[in-house]
Amino acid sequence: MRAQLMRRTLLSLVLGLLFLSTPAMGSCLDNYQELLGQLQKQADFMQHTSMLLDPYISIQGLDKDGLKEHCQERPGVFPSKDVLQRLSRQEFLQILNTTLGHVLHRLRTLQKDIPKAQDLEKLNIAKLNIRGFKNNIHCMAQLLPGSLEKTEPTPTGPGASPSPTPISDAFQRRLEGCRFLHGYHRFMHSVGQVFREWGQSLSRSRRHSPRRGLRKGKHRTHLSSRNKRLMPRGWLPR
Amino acid sequence: MALFSAFQTTFLLALLSLKTYQSEVLSEPLSLAPESLEVSIDSARQCLHLQWSVHNLAYHQELKMVFQIEISRIKTSNVIWVENYSTTVKRNQVLRWSWESKLPLECAKHSVRMRGAVDDAQVPELRFWSNWTSWEEVDVQSSLGHDPLFVFPKDKLVEEGSNVTICYVSRSHQNNISCYLEGVRMHGEQLDPNVCVFHLKNVPFIRETGTNIYCKADQGDVIKGIVLFVSKVFEEPKDFSCETRDLKTLNCTWAPGSDAGLLTQLSQSYTLFESLKATKCAPRTLCKHKSWCNWQVSPDSQEMYNFTLTAENYLRKRSVHLLFNLTHRVHPMAPFNVFVKNVSATNATMTWKVHSIGNYSTLLCQIELYGEGKVIQKQNVSVKVNGKHLMKKLEPSTEYAAQVRCANAHHFWKWSEWTRRNFTTAEAAPSEAPDVWRNVKSVQGHCVVTLFWKPLSKLQANGKILFYNVVLENLDRPSTLKLLSIPAPANGTELTLDRCSYQIHVTANNSVGTSPASVIAVSGDPGNKEVEEERVKGTEDGFCLSWKPQPGDVTGYVVEWCERPGDPLCDLQWKNLGPNTTSTVVSSDAFRPGVRYNFRIYGISTERIPYLLEKKTGYSQELVPSDNPQVLMSNLTSYSFTLSWKDYAAESQPGFVRGYSLYLKSKAARCLPGSEKAVLSDDSICCKYKIDNPKQKTFVVENLQPASFYEFFLTPYTSVGEGPQGAFTKVTTPDEYSHILIRIILPMIFSILLIMILCYLKSQWMKEKCYPDIPDPYKSSVLSLIKSKENPRLTIMNVKDCIPDAIEVINKQEGTRKSLTETEPTKPTYLYLLPTEKSHSGPGPCICFENFTYNQAASDSVSCGHVPVTPKAQPSQLGLLTSSENVPKALGKNYVNSLGEIPAGETNLNYVSQLASPMCGDKSSLPTNPPEPALCSEYKTQMAIPMGLASPPSITLLDEGEHDH
Repeated sequence: MRAQLMRRTLLSLVLGLLFLSTPAMGSCLDNYQELLGQLQKQADFMQHTSMLLDPYISIQGLDKDGLKEHCQERPGVFPSKDVLQRLSRQEFLQILNTTLGHVLHRLRTLQKDIPKAQDLEKLNIAKLNIRGFKNNIHCMAQLLPGSLEKTEPTPTGPGASPSPTPISDAFQRRLEGCRFLHGYHRFMHSVGQVFREWGQSLSRSRRHSPRRGLRKGKHRTHLSSRNKRLMPRGWLPR
Repeated sequence: MALFSAFQTTFLLALLSLKTYQSEVLSEPLSLAPESLEVSIDSARQCLHLQWSVHNLAYHQELKMVFQIEISRIKTSNVIWVENYSTTVKRNQVLRWSWESKLPLECAKHSVRMRGAVDDAQVPELRFWSNWTSWEEVDVQSSLGHDPLFVFPKDKLVEEGSNVTICYVSRSHQNNISCYLEGVRMHGEQLDPNVCVFHLKNVPFIRETGTNIYCKADQGDVIKGIVLFVSKVFEEPKDFSCETRDLKTLNCTWAPGSDAGLLTQLSQSYTLFESLKATKCAPRTLCKHKSWCNWQVSPDSQEMYNFTLTAENYLRKRSVHLLFNLTHRVHPMAPFNVFVKNVSATNATMTWKVHSIGNYSTLLCQIELYGEGKVIQKQNVSVKVNGKHLMKKLEPSTEYAAQVRCANAHHFWKWSEWTRRNFTTAEAAPSEAPDVWRNVKSVQGHCVVTLFWKPLSKLQANGKILFYNVVLENLDRPSTLKLLSIPAPANGTELTLDRCSYQIHVTANNSVGTSPASVIAVSGDPGNKEVEEERVKGTEDGFCLSWKPQPGDVTGYVVEWCERPGDPLCDLQWKNLGPNTTSTVVSSDAFRPGVRYNFRIYGISTERIPYLLEKKTGYSQELVPSDNPQVLMSNLTSYSFTLSWKDYAAESQPGFVRGYSLYLKSKAARCLPGSEKAVLSDDSICCKYKIDNPKQKTFVVENLQPASFYEFFLTPYTSVGEGPQGAFTKVTTPDEYSHILIRIILPMIFSILLIMILCYLKSQWMKEKCYPDIPDPYKSSVLSLIKSKENPRLTIMNVKDCIPDAIEVINKQEGTRKSLTETEPTKPTYLYLLPTEKSHSGPGPCICFENFTYNQAASDSVSCGHVPVTPKAQPSQLGLLTSSENVPKALGKNYVNSLGEIPAGETNLNYVSQLASPMCGDKSSLPTNPPEPALCSEYKTQMAIPMGLASPPSITLLDEGEHDH
């Protein structure tokens, strides 16, 4: 029953992502709150280890005592939650976008070690999810003051470049793959929390200064500086 | 000086040449040792590659040599491999030899050395070993790096069932290393303090991604491992076959073996090799596909081919061979330009062409003709280039499909694909007369004939039937014909004829012509003579009907029936049979179980007039009765009752009712005569009467017990079984003596009534005889005496003052009586109840009387009566009287009071009174004083008052105000 629910959710999400991928082709969702909600839900969904890590462990035979304990995230590969929380929104989106690009690249590498077609299908769905998520990041960056394209792609910060050195040893490669996926799910969990904080700060700011969003021009430039939480562009009068 | 130098050089050269010459010619022992030995490693394959050369050979000299190679492990003294390698050696030729190590080369240091010897028959004198080369050391461990732990071999690929040796190399002596295969710990042997070796035997296939083997140090987070890729056993290709379609290209096909299980690591390759004419240009072909490959046939008319298909993967090579003659493997192309021409109603011609196959151009072609999805004609034709075939005996207006294929006529290998064409033959006139039947009814003096005909079959119609012609020929006036044209697809018509002597001709017509006519005659006699109906038993195959052959001229028989008997439309069916037929089986998919079908068998006279011969009725399958009869019970006696079910329609049951079963339940253990024990579906036991006559609709159940309870249930039965189980009807037989009792009791009651009436009528007489009236004291003559004497002491007791009581004269002696009369002769010797002083104002006086009934002696002379009393005092008296407690008290007082007035010396009798009933006393008081008789009409219990209890008068019955003490 749970698996069926999972499949349905997956299907709906894939369809949703396909639908959301239209921004990349020309138009973006201009409702900040709605877009933030989408990103948050997607991040929550992608954090589930059943999406990638669990099947990978099973396929590669890493689900053995004494072995699965070593499938832990290698520090520094993905930005930690603290690092993500300290970033400005623009920087956060940049890091997120870049990191997910590396994840896509790494998934393509992992794909070579997965022989069965049905297992590859799961990986392809995961890749589709990430692409849809990246499209939404792009749209979110459009809504924030200062376009993402201006600074993209400049991965900064610790572990922003999770591309590994090539490993010829199959065992080490699959262990590293496992660690990488573990880190990926943890990273998406942190991303979800950051987006949740965005939503909370938004409701707080709406409660405390409802007219703040109407400011523009000079103040907007001020807000876009580092370590300041930016207000979404969608809130500004057009 | 220069000259000296040149001389010296010339001398040395001459000397060297001489030396060489000497060695060749004189065959001096010459050391042909391997030189320039180099050892390299292939870690993936765990191979040591050796290469060397032999320098001391003359130019162009080739010698067979044998090289002895020694391989040692860890230390040179530990030689683990010795092999002699024989080869032909040329001067300065680089020789190569490889050795695969079972142990990964990284696990231990290996050393190699070799020596050589001439092994050539031409120079047998040189057959001695050269000196060993120096040990060449291979130490991979030193180049591993600085990791604390290594596991080898990396990513090794083996077939399942192989034996594999694994080792780990640890850089630390302190750590204990434990190794696991898929989570299961392995135990190995220590090769040296840092190296441990594990021997895995018969490794299984676990998963496509390989088997994980890993080692961990007990301290720290070090884990290293390998993936052992175990593949399934590589199978050889199956069903390898080659053929040509045009003698230019050979197409070889095969079925690859089962998947090795490792998709990425084990790619398979297939190579085709022709060995009989392995030309340099194309000796072999690397096949691009996994299951087939093309080979260009050489133009030089090579007939025989010997192909070898080699399937190869990283681990294994498999080969299959095929030797064949090219002309025997010709698979022709499908025929082309196929046409069906000159199509008539019964014939058609098929033409086609075949692809040329060089000199072997004679082909055998097969033509198949399909009609209604089945092959109806099959023909083989030899063809060079053009083929032609005439198809005969076709049916008119019929769709056909013709197809052709060809094969090598001389050496059959395979048929070509079919080439197919559809065509339809032309129409022809219908070949058969329609099958006609009729139904004749007489309506208002007219003859209504309903004609039915069956549509012609496709074979009979020879085209599309457009209309039916009905020609009516009046037999009385043969020249009178009437034609009706009824368009198809009608299958009947209704004709109203003035009289019934007609002959009817029916023909079917299509676009080409008319069918033969079907003739049926209608006579004035409907032929429905009384024929007894017979029963016929149906089977799964239908109804088997038979009839008696007719003595006269009969042109045939017709069996008629309705497929839907209950339906008004009936769906009339008939079957025409020949004159010599006396039986037939009527079957139909429409026959349903439990439905009664009626069959009529007609004979057809020579005048084509049908006449009824027999009637049959039956069920294709009989069922049990669908319902039970409503049973009425009558004539219930103590010993029998009658059951009747006359309204039950046995004909409407889904089977012939063969009789009835009557079940009777009773408390009696034994069944009555005529019945037998039966067990019902609910396991209850009862008695069963079997009524075998289906026409019997009544039954008398006899020999019953009086005043007994019975239950009965009646159900019909057919040949299949009984009807549904129903509810039992309860009945109780009456008592045996009840009628006798009635016969006795009724007269008795009547007699009693009669007696009572008589008694009533004679009551006066009876009264007089049995209980005469008590004399009324008022009417007594004593009263006249009292009045006349005016004796104040004498008074008459008022009834009101009397307690209802009995006064009894206990004893009255003759003497006493006599003294009374004697001493007071003027006074009567009576005992009186004295009235009160206010007795005048109270109720009427109570009369004291002497009951002469009890004093017979005085009855004649005296009498006692009572005076009617006013009803005023009745309530109190009634109240007292109704109280049982007060009765004796009141009685006592009254008695005393009454007696107190009597002088003791005057009398010694005890007074006994009786209240006179108005009924028997003063009748005149009844209508005037109705409540009073309640007081005075009863005879109270007589009480004896002892003399000693006499006390002064105290009347408490009366109101106090009315009494004076």
